[in-house]
Amino acid sequence: MSTMIPATDRKKAGTMSLMINGKKIKALKGMTVLEAALGASVYIPTLCYDPDLKPYGACRLCLVEIEGMRGIVSSCTTPAVDGMVIRTDTPMVNLARRAALELILVNHHGDCLTCTKNQRCELQKVAQYLGIEQENLDKLRKGTQILPVDKSHPAFDRDHNKCLLCGRCVQACEEIAAVGAIDLAFRGYATKVSTFGDKPIHDSICVSCGECISRCPTGALVPKHYIQPTDHVKTICPYCGVGCSIYLGIRGNEIVDVQGAKESPVNKGGLCVKGRYGLDFVNHQDRLTRPLIRKEGVPKNVSTTDIHQIFREADWNEVLDRMAQDIGLTIDRHGPDAIGLLSSAKCTNEDNYLFQKFARAVLHTNNVDHCARLCHASTVAAALAAFGDGAMSNSISDIDQAEVLFVIGSNTTECHPIIGRRIKRAIKNNGAKLIVADPRRIELCDMAEIHLDHFPGTDVALLNGMMRQIVEENLHDQTFIAKRCEEFEPFLESLNGYDLKTVDAITGVAGEKIRQSGLLFGKAKKAIVLYGMGITQHTTGTDNVKAIANLLMLTGNLGRKGTGFSPLRGQNNVQGACDMGALPVVYPGYQRVDHPGVREKFEKAWGKNLNEKPGITITEMVQAAYEGQLKALYVMGENPMLSEPDLNHVREALARLELLIVQDIFLTETAQMADVILPATSFAEKDGTFTNTERRVQRVRKAIDPPGEARPDWEIIAEISKRLGYPMDYQSSAEIMDEIARLTPIYGGINHDRLGRGGLQWPCWDKKHTGTPILHKGQFTRGRGKFHVVLDRPPAELPTFAYPILLTTGRILEHWHTGSMSHRSHVLETLAPESRVEINPVDASRLGIVEGDVISLSSCRGAIQTKVKKTHRVRPGQAFMAFHWKEAPANRLTNPAFDLQAKIPEFKVSSVKAILTVLERAVEDNKFLTALAENPAGVLASYDLTPEHRKALVDGDIASLEKWVGPLEERLQMWLKVRLKQENISEK
Amino acid sequence: MDFTLIKERAEKNWKALENLRQPLIQIGMGTCGKAAGADEVYVAAKQTLKQMNLLGRILQVGCIGTCYLEPIMAVRKPGGPFIYYGNLTAKRTEEILLAFLRDDDPKPEWAVCMMGEGSVDGIPRFEELPMIKPQVRIALRNCGLIDPENIEHYIARGGYSGLVKALQMKREEVVQEIKDSGLRGRGGAGFPTGQKWEFCRKAPSHQKYMICNADEGDPGAFMDRSTMEGDPHAVIEGMIIAAYAIGANEGYIYCRAEYPLAIKRLYIAIKQAEDYGIMGKRIQGSDFSFNVHVKEGAGAFVCGEETALMASIEGNRGMPRPRPPFPAQSGLWGKPTNINNVKTLASIPVIIEKGAEWYASIGTEKSKGSAVFALTGKITNSGLVEVPMGTTLREIIFEIGGGIPRGKRFKAVQTGGPSGGCLPASFLDSPVDYETLAEAGSIMGSGGMVVLDEDTCMVDMAKYFLSFTQLESCGKCIPCRWGTKQMLDILEDITCGRGKMEDIYLLIELGEAVKAGSLCGLGQTAPNPVLSTIRYFRDEYESHIKRSHCAAAICKGLVKAPCSHTCPAGVDVPRYIRRITEGNYDEALSVIRERIPFPSVCGYVCFHPCEDKCRRSQLDEPVAIRALKRFAADHAKKAASINQKVALPSGKRVAVVGSGPAGLTAAYYLAKTGGHAVTVFETLPEAGGMMRVGIPRYRLPKEVLDAEIEMIKQVRVEIKTNCRIDSVNSLREQGFDAIFLALGAHVGTKMRVAGEDSQGVVDCVSLLRDVSLGKEVKLGEKVAVIGGGNAAIDASRTALRLGAKEVTIIYRRSREEMPASKEEVEEALEEGVKIKYLIAPVNIYRQNGHFKMECIQMKLGKTDASGRRQPEPVSGSKFEEEFDTIVTAIGQIPQIPEKMGVKVDRGGVLHADPDTSATERVGVFAGGDAVSGPASVIEAIAAGRQAAISIDKYLGGKGLIEEKIASPEDVTALPEMSEEESEKHRPPMPVLSLDRRLEGFEVVEIGYPEAIAIEEAQRCLRCDLEPE
Repeated sequence: MSTMIPATDRKKAGTMSLMINGKKIKALKGMTVLEAALGASVYIPTLCYDPDLKPYGACRLCLVEIEGMRGIVSSCTTPAVDGMVIRTDTPMVNLARRAALELILVNHHGDCLTCTKNQRCELQKVAQYLGIEQENLDKLRKGTQILPVDKSHPAFDRDHNKCLLCGRCVQACEEIAAVGAIDLAFRGYATKVSTFGDKPIHDSICVSCGECISRCPTGALVPKHYIQPTDHVKTICPYCGVGCSIYLGIRGNEIVDVQGAKESPVNKGGLCVKGRYGLDFVNHQDRLTRPLIRKEGVPKNVSTTDIHQIFREADWNEVLDRMAQDIGLTIDRHGPDAIGLLSSAKCTNEDNYLFQKFARAVLHTNNVDHCARLCHASTVAAALAAFGDGAMSNSISDIDQAEVLFVIGSNTTECHPIIGRRIKRAIKNNGAKLIVADPRRIELCDMAEIHLDHFPGTDVALLNGMMRQIVEENLHDQTFIAKRCEEFEPFLESLNGYDLKTVDAITGVAGEKIRQSGLLFGKAKKAIVLYGMGITQHTTGTDNVKAIANLLMLTGNLGRKGTGFSPLRGQNNVQGACDMGALPVVYPGYQRVDHPGVREKFEKAWGKNLNEKPGITITEMVQAAYEGQLKALYVMGENPMLSEPDLNHVREALARLELLIVQDIFLTETAQMADVILPATSFAEKDGTFTNTERRVQRVRKAIDPPGEARPDWEIIAEISKRLGYPMDYQSSAEIMDEIARLTPIYGGINHDRLGRGGLQWPCWDKKHTGTPILHKGQFTRGRGKFHVVLDRPPAELPTFAYPILLTTGRILEHWHTGSMSHRSHVLETLAPESRVEINPVDASRLGIVEGDVISLSSCRGAIQTKVKKTHRVRPGQAFMAFHWKEAPANRLTNPAFDLQAKIPEFKVSSVKAILTVLERAVEDNKFLTALAENPAGVLASYDLTPEHRKALVDGDIASLEKWVGPLEERLQMWLKVRLKQENISEK
Repeated sequence: MDFTLIKERAEKNWKALENLRQPLIQIGMGTCGKAAGADEVYVAAKQTLKQMNLLGRILQVGCIGTCYLEPIMAVRKPGGPFIYYGNLTAKRTEEILLAFLRDDDPKPEWAVCMMGEGSVDGIPRFEELPMIKPQVRIALRNCGLIDPENIEHYIARGGYSGLVKALQMKREEVVQEIKDSGLRGRGGAGFPTGQKWEFCRKAPSHQKYMICNADEGDPGAFMDRSTMEGDPHAVIEGMIIAAYAIGANEGYIYCRAEYPLAIKRLYIAIKQAEDYGIMGKRIQGSDFSFNVHVKEGAGAFVCGEETALMASIEGNRGMPRPRPPFPAQSGLWGKPTNINNVKTLASIPVIIEKGAEWYASIGTEKSKGSAVFALTGKITNSGLVEVPMGTTLREIIFEIGGGIPRGKRFKAVQTGGPSGGCLPASFLDSPVDYETLAEAGSIMGSGGMVVLDEDTCMVDMAKYFLSFTQLESCGKCIPCRWGTKQMLDILEDITCGRGKMEDIYLLIELGEAVKAGSLCGLGQTAPNPVLSTIRYFRDEYESHIKRSHCAAAICKGLVKAPCSHTCPAGVDVPRYIRRITEGNYDEALSVIRERIPFPSVCGYVCFHPCEDKCRRSQLDEPVAIRALKRFAADHAKKAASINQKVALPSGKRVAVVGSGPAGLTAAYYLAKTGGHAVTVFETLPEAGGMMRVGIPRYRLPKEVLDAEIEMIKQVRVEIKTNCRIDSVNSLREQGFDAIFLALGAHVGTKMRVAGEDSQGVVDCVSLLRDVSLGKEVKLGEKVAVIGGGNAAIDASRTALRLGAKEVTIIYRRSREEMPASKEEVEEALEEGVKIKYLIAPVNIYRQNGHFKMECIQMKLGKTDASGRRQPEPVSGSKFEEEFDTIVTAIGQIPQIPEKMGVKVDRGGVLHADPDTSATERVGVFAGGDAVSGPASVIEAIAAGRQAAISIDKYLGGKGLIEEKIASPEDVTALPEMSEEESEKHRPPMPVLSLDRRLEGFEVVEIGYPEAIAIEEAQRCLRCDLEPE
């Protein structure tokens, strides 16, 4: 008995020959009959078949007769066997196929002409092939069931009346997206694709990735307001660092459709909600189309968003001239280091390269940095120290090979959805085991073997605790350590302090769980650690990453397939921006600015003397601006006014600048404070390259023209440069890449023309090199892997009596970073229209807060108002909030304290308090209510209450209370009643 | 513990139970028992024992199979046999126990049977019960005999010995043993079990699974449930042996959650098996370990399909997947898996214990062993039966099942549940085995056997089963989900009168496509009930489509009230019956007259098919519809019921040949509603046809018939008597535009027996005719009447009235098959007529001046196409009898003059289109007995109506013969009916005293007095007013 063989393994299995309709054909062993037939160009009609999905066998159109088999069988599920004799056109086959088709048609309600799928409909194709006779249809009873169309989702509609129940959407949701939001429900004629509880899709666990939509053979699942594109351009998704390849469907100058590129090794056609539905920002009316200059005398701190009150439009020449002049003046007056430049992880490698070149060669400063400072600066610092390379050591596809996946500080399914689903599939399909370490019970925990819900900021202790267990059980890879690493002994000794009891006390995780995790990880032959901001955004960020590096070296999980160090990079080109030297201490390719040989090379190449003094980081620039040392800031595609910690402070700092230049595609919160705004282009309007989290350099292609007078970033830079006396005469971004390749050894072989098929992973030393999927094979980039002794330190801020809640910030699936793009996407904004802070129901109940209440969150740095979402995913005493909302900017609360090595702020830990907003308003001028709100029982003790007052309080007599403190809002009355009852004050 | 010791102890305890010094009471506490009230019986038994201060033991046992007797109790006094009592109530239980245990009166009149050593007079042995005798009990060997919650009972009766034996065999030897036994899967498909095991045994894997499929879900099936409830260890032992054979260490019993008792007992049994070292680690010291889990299913029929079942165990939606891969290679969680049905597994231990040879000796060539059936439907003894493969359907239904209740006729048997098919009576003598049933278009299935009688509409039945499969389709594949729905929609249309003839072809085509194209067994078999009913009962489909007629009066879309639907002339029975309740007899008669011109005649003689379908009969007895009709006709002012309006003359002339009910009815409507000039030609001197010369006066008085014929004459129908018509052409020549041939069937059929032409042999038609027409007829003292129809009864009763001293009816079949109406037969018997069954004449001759008839004893043989059993002569059983006169009454045929020039069909009847009455000659129509052969008055009236419609249309009219005579009824003003109608029997028809009857031809039935008639009319359930 032959069985089916996965497509990837077939070539090894050899070929076989079959007879189809009397014709001899060859096929690869392990193919199904259908695959063999299609491979030999024998058409067999199908509706439920999809090469990406497991054979399903539901539509019964691919039926064939096979000699020696009873009846007719579905070719999509029947393995082909050497010598098989197959007929696809017998009377029985035709009867069954025609009957199935006719049954579909009489149950198919809808008009082809008004159907989005018209002419792309697989049912039409099958019907055409089999032939339909109206007479036959007329004999049949028209289906009676008309179901309402589910229009609840902003991106697509589900019309059950055009559904064949081919199951492809269900399978895609399960097998591709690994979500399982939908399944067949009910029985018989009533069977339909349904969410759990048959709720509208919008209210289900659907993650809106749209995998189902692209697989629906008919018009049952269609995008809303579909416009058929006339052109397709292959490029890279501009959202996260996964770097999915996409095809932009273009009609006119508009992106009307997005499809994942199936040939991409990164996403294999898969996309998440942002990639598929979030790109309409490109054509948003808010796009900046002309240069703007701040009107004379308009202060920096205006609250209006009316662009015309603050700015006046200008033409490019005026703006560029003025900029050149202002920059020149600043340098003349204060020296080059009074200028800071903020490059962009959203821009291409070419843009970034030119921007840092502009800083260094034209302005003579190394004060260039970008948002990696806020995400993976600690990774770069630690990994450079441990391995010699700051990037992900292996490839995303290694996830499929691992035995154990250890996800720490990464909410992968929301922040890197395509990697998240790969993890889920590895667990489901390959039996990989998952360990999750996260203070929050993130979605991946549902599939995890072990969830370590450690206290935020205690990663070092947790990891050290695990490692000690590994060592105690002798599970460490002694050969690997001896052969390839150094400084193991002091490290080993440093683990002594991390016995389970101690670690338990620090992290709050039961010792046994830590031990189990250690054993699971230690015993695995192949294990990967995936991590994100939960590790890096700490004052101990660099230590955290070093601890991860230690763990991987300790267990020998480096340099092999299925192992590795996997920092998940945040932005689409944050890896590239680092690679391009948009960092104050390095030139492109991590070549240090303070290295004389290197500097000489660049001076020669660029024809200018270069500043040898390392520049300052963005966090330092903000402080320098605040303190008046930094006078000018040139921001390309960044939005520190939402992304920096302690925003009130940032606002003040930026306001103090003499010159703020912002180059962006939207009027961001930062741009609102600018003196000059330069309209730039989005990813869809320019050529270039992005480098994804697995070091894969991929091509970005221009799909549409920029709006108005907006210009590509590199062109703008070249224009200013020219005006500052340093002409940059590039004809194309490809030409810039050639210069990068010449100066950057790890990009040595990169060239736009070489990137056509799936890109190249650096290091790519020369034009013949095919890239490096796995780093540190044989030896580490730095030679030997270096163990670091890292000891745990508490976070910079801990909950206090005044600010008892520990807030961590992060992202949610539907939005991106500071939201300048995602808030301007119709679908994303509809899916997640407003900010929510997640708090545990225990805290909510203690604070008298119900779901959907607006609360005030405040830290000692500021306050915001936001709605509440109660969830058990956060632990009591903790809160989580995304920083995407300008209306409720979480970073107004966050702590600017930073990691001393990497200068990365501790976004993940700040202390806040929460109070019902109505209550806050009420207590603003009423100390009694303030006290009452904070400590009802205490009020009875400490206030000198009359018996009458006391009784009113104990009874929750609102009317009396109002007489006393003034009128109370309805929500507040309710709150008081609940709260007073809860405290049970009468007993005290 | 060592099994030998366990077994010794169990046997010792069992022996002790057998020799118990106290009374032992067993109560059937299966679901069937509990549903029938076994819990109350149990409590009553317990209390009665207490009350008598008797030490006694009560055992709860499973279902013994005789479900129709539930609740059942068996009582044994020390040293005596078990005596079984059925259909118990708490009170009856107490009475029995008091009588038996205290007064030593076993109450044989209440007992069903007895079992065990000893005997009691008047109580048959269990094994001798007709229901039990033909059975073999293999899978059900312990059901009802042991306490299913006591593992030692099971062990004492040989349980787990098979397992112990198997464990000493090699795995492949166990497989071989099962292969040799010929056991095939009892779940339905009948795949050889041993072979299935072998596949799985040979599949390479460290992890294998053994699953017991207990997802019994067919309507009418409860074999698996009873087995699990009554003998759970048998299933478990079978599973362990199977697991050992294939090398599985993990097992699942997939049982629907709707079987709480079965599940409870399985859990208990598993626990006990573990405690006894029979399950779990290293079973009985071997190196084989096995654990069983019970998985409760959500009651999805599709989960009986093995791949869907496995999906369900895995926690997914219960949906099948295509095979290959087969479960034996890749089953539960991708591991080799073997799945067997409950009954298959329950048979395994005995096969191992007694050997393959023993098992293979039972059954047929290809189907070995026994089959368990759940016998339900229209069957006297419903219950669980186990018979050797190859037992005929007749044995199962008529011997074991006791035949059809309420004297109804068998119509079909449905086997295999919704996946099976319906077999008509012609298959009754077919052996039940996999091949035969499959060939006939049904399947063995898992053992559901639903018996259907004449009151079952086969289209409705097909619709029922299909609606079940449609609802239970998992919806995954298109043919099953939408194909069954499409077929169901078509059936729905057909049963509502919206069907078209092409729908039958469409059903067949769709059915074949669904069978061929569906993914799993559910869809592949779902069309079977439809296809098999079309195959065997196509006429019912056609009659629904063409005539909007449902013979069983079941299909709601067609049938308002079953009585009027069944009436060939469509008389609106409930409406006139309601008029009678109001005392408005004129209106009642008007209602009747709207459909027939012979209300009185019908009131006296109609054979009332309406009453057979009266819904009231399901409660007590049918409403006396005919008697009420007569009452209405007798009590109404006749003239008041006539709509005097006659249609304007059409200028066309119609000749009606024959003045019987068909001819006169056609004449009446053609003249009255068509305005045609109608002339009726009658050969005999008086009009009325068979009503005049076939029905004796004591049933239909001359005056009644005269009066109604007179009314027909009043609508300008000319009747020419003594006028014989020999050819159609002659009528044409006389200028008739259309001709209706209603010649009747006035010639007696010959017996084809030597000597039947002798003097002294008369045919019944001539006899009755002569008597009716007042001719003098002489019969001898000793008269034999040959035949079994109504004519034979009429002849015999007439003979008595003519002075015969001894009248004997001789009939070659048995009473069951006798076509004569029951009432008539009973009245004849009352009057002294003797009936001899299963006797046929072979020779008539004179000897020594005596008129002798040589007869032969007959026996019933195989079923013929009509569904009746063919009588066969018993060789060497000839005997002679002497008679003075022999009357032959075996049938009548029409006499069609050769010159008539119309086509004659087989059987000597006229050829006419059944739907239009048209003959092959233009303008010539035919109907009544001349076309149908001898039938009833009401059928002839119906034929006359149909002819009138066709002829009117032929003559250019619209064929509208409907008459509105009665005034409209305000149904909203009707008095409320009580929700729960209580039982109320129908009053007997007052009749003449016996001596007065035989004095002459006075009408025997006197008719209901008014008060009784009104009361009887109130028994009508008003089905026609039932809300939709």
